[in-house]
Amino acid sequence: MSDETLLRVREVTTTFDTPQGRLTAVDGVSFDLAAHESVGVVGESGSGKTVLSRTIMGLQPRRGVSVTGSVLLNGTEVVGATEEAKRELWGRQVAMVFQDPMTSLNPVVKVGRQIDEVLRVRLGMDRSAARARAIELLEMVGIPAAVTRYGAYPHSLSGGMRQRVVIAIALAGSPQLLLADEPTTGLDVTIQAQILNLLDEVQGRLGMSMILVTHDLGVVATRTTRLVVMYAGRVVETGTTRDVFARHRMPYTRALLESSPKVSNPSHTRLAAIPGRPPNLLDLPTGCAFAPRCAYATDRCTSERPVLEPADEPGHLFACFNPLPLRVGSPS
Amino acid sequence: MSEALLSVRDLSVAFGPRGRRVSAVDGVSFDVVAGETLGLVGESGCGKSTTGRALMRIVEPTAGTVTLEGVELTAASGRALRERRTAMQMIFQDPISSLNPRRRARDIVAEPLDCWKRAEGEERRRIVDELLAQVGIDPVAYGDRYARQFSGGQCQRISIARALAMRPKLLICDEVVSALDVSVQAQILNLLEDLKAEYGLTLLFIAHDLAVVKNISDRVAVMYLGRLCEIGPADTLYDAPAHPYTKFLLGAALEADPEAPRRSEVLEGEPPSPLNPPSGCRFRTRCPFATERCATETPALREVAPGHQVACHYPLVVPVRDRRTEGDGAPTGTTPPAEGRAAG
Repeated sequence: MSDETLLRVREVTTTFDTPQGRLTAVDGVSFDLAAHESVGVVGESGSGKTVLSRTIMGLQPRRGVSVTGSVLLNGTEVVGATEEAKRELWGRQVAMVFQDPMTSLNPVVKVGRQIDEVLRVRLGMDRSAARARAIELLEMVGIPAAVTRYGAYPHSLSGGMRQRVVIAIALAGSPQLLLADEPTTGLDVTIQAQILNLLDEVQGRLGMSMILVTHDLGVVATRTTRLVVMYAGRVVETGTTRDVFARHRMPYTRALLESSPKVSNPSHTRLAAIPGRPPNLLDLPTGCAFAPRCAYATDRCTSERPVLEPADEPGHLFACFNPLPLRVGSPS
Repeated sequence: MSEALLSVRDLSVAFGPRGRRVSAVDGVSFDVVAGETLGLVGESGCGKSTTGRALMRIVEPTAGTVTLEGVELTAASGRALRERRTAMQMIFQDPISSLNPRRRARDIVAEPLDCWKRAEGEERRRIVDELLAQVGIDPVAYGDRYARQFSGGQCQRISIARALAMRPKLLICDEVVSALDVSVQAQILNLLEDLKAEYGLTLLFIAHDLAVVKNISDRVAVMYLGRLCEIGPADTLYDAPAHPYTKFLLGAALEADPEAPRRSEVLEGEPPSPLNPPSGCRFRTRCPFATERCATETPALREVAPGHQVACHYPLVVPVRDRRTEGDGAPTGTTPPAEGRAAG
């Protein structure tokens, strides 16, 4: 387990100073990621999943943010690293694919040059070698007529094509870890399937590790080996994807699973909705953050904060005082 | 035959000047029967939202007719149109921007009543409070709060209350849950089901999410590049899609189940530009079954099973009877709602 650990996240806490007070977006998160592994980070808006991925990347504004804990990427500490040190990591060790391909590309620079930049600045390639490699990368991410598209501006490409370009940029430095933050949100279903298949394929081909951050359980179900479920900045359950889906113990995990409609269910299936909404991070309850919405909450849940404890299966942890009993058979 | 509440015939909407004309909706016909929910599903740019807007005449149809309870909306104008429009209300995707942030929840819901002078004073207040309570907003605690103080899910509830204020027959829901978190999305879907039963509403539910559409709809219509591909009972259409596009669309839907088989067939490419749509069947450029006939002849909607119609020369479900062309003026896409499904 530990010999091939690529990423070690320990007790990471990220807080923001806001005019309304200090906001804890990520609260004591720990997990490991092995080489070649893909982990899904799942949660609703405000769960801290995006801030967590940016903290791992070392991407924060300089002011008003404080990060404690440790993010060890291939032996290098990211938390507290200087800009120079982080620049050494970015591109070659870790790269990121952001949610919105419209805004993550520069609209006034041709896409080819945006890929070249990585190759020339980070890998020291000369202009013609960079161009050849950029076209190769465009082909690798499935962009037809790559030579023509090399000279295209982002606005002339569709959303799916733009996301392919963003992936090509991320892959340019052959990173060991790819962070994909909602890479398919906002794309059509058929395009979403194409992009997820592409990520899968390049991850296997290049032997990368991947962190897939999403609100959509469908995205991670068949494409990750492990899951981290977040709620209000904390990890509430983690384990193999299979265990989290079939043998989850934390009521929030179940609520998340059961409240989303499924194509395989007959029409008019009543959804198991949970009341209320995710809490305000500026005003978190003392105990379990999910307690106000939880059907199983007791006095202890509102006064004391549950910590992650092991379930029966290896590597499966949950934070709950009143865990769900295991159901016989696996729910579909 | 049970009569249709809403009848859409050959509806077309085109934007832009001659030469650069975008055909957003092209010859779409369907009926919505009183009491049913018709889901309208498709990817971005397929014309589903434009169809919804054209029904309300928020955008003007370039051709075709829209008939609500026997009155042709496309022929009405001025006060007559506005009056008819009170019977159909629309709810939009972005709940926060569809409400004025500087108005109070109560005033937002009361606005349609004030416009039409339907109620005032004590009665107005009673109706508004009742509507807010129905959508799950406590009128006493939250009625006087400003729209900006509510979350997305709560704003969507207020939008629903406002739409219900005129007691509409038909509610057009355009991507009403796609901006919401899953846990809140489930609340809104359940709320719509409850209100539909309580107010006897008929719903046209426009969305891109296949699971959401199946969950709420009695019948589902699939659109691609401005045209209707297939329409049929929700469960049948999802179990046995007749149009190749529907099959690919369903195949691309992600199931939240690690044991689900990974589908290998992924639809290649992207939809062509509506500026210059393909001749014949608009899906033919991406369809693995396309032949020359698909390029020359536009497939018409025809029945493959009772109430299940498809616009494809080579449907995946064998038609009950291949020739069914007589009486070509017959309404398309009409089936009574499934009566078996009671409140479940």
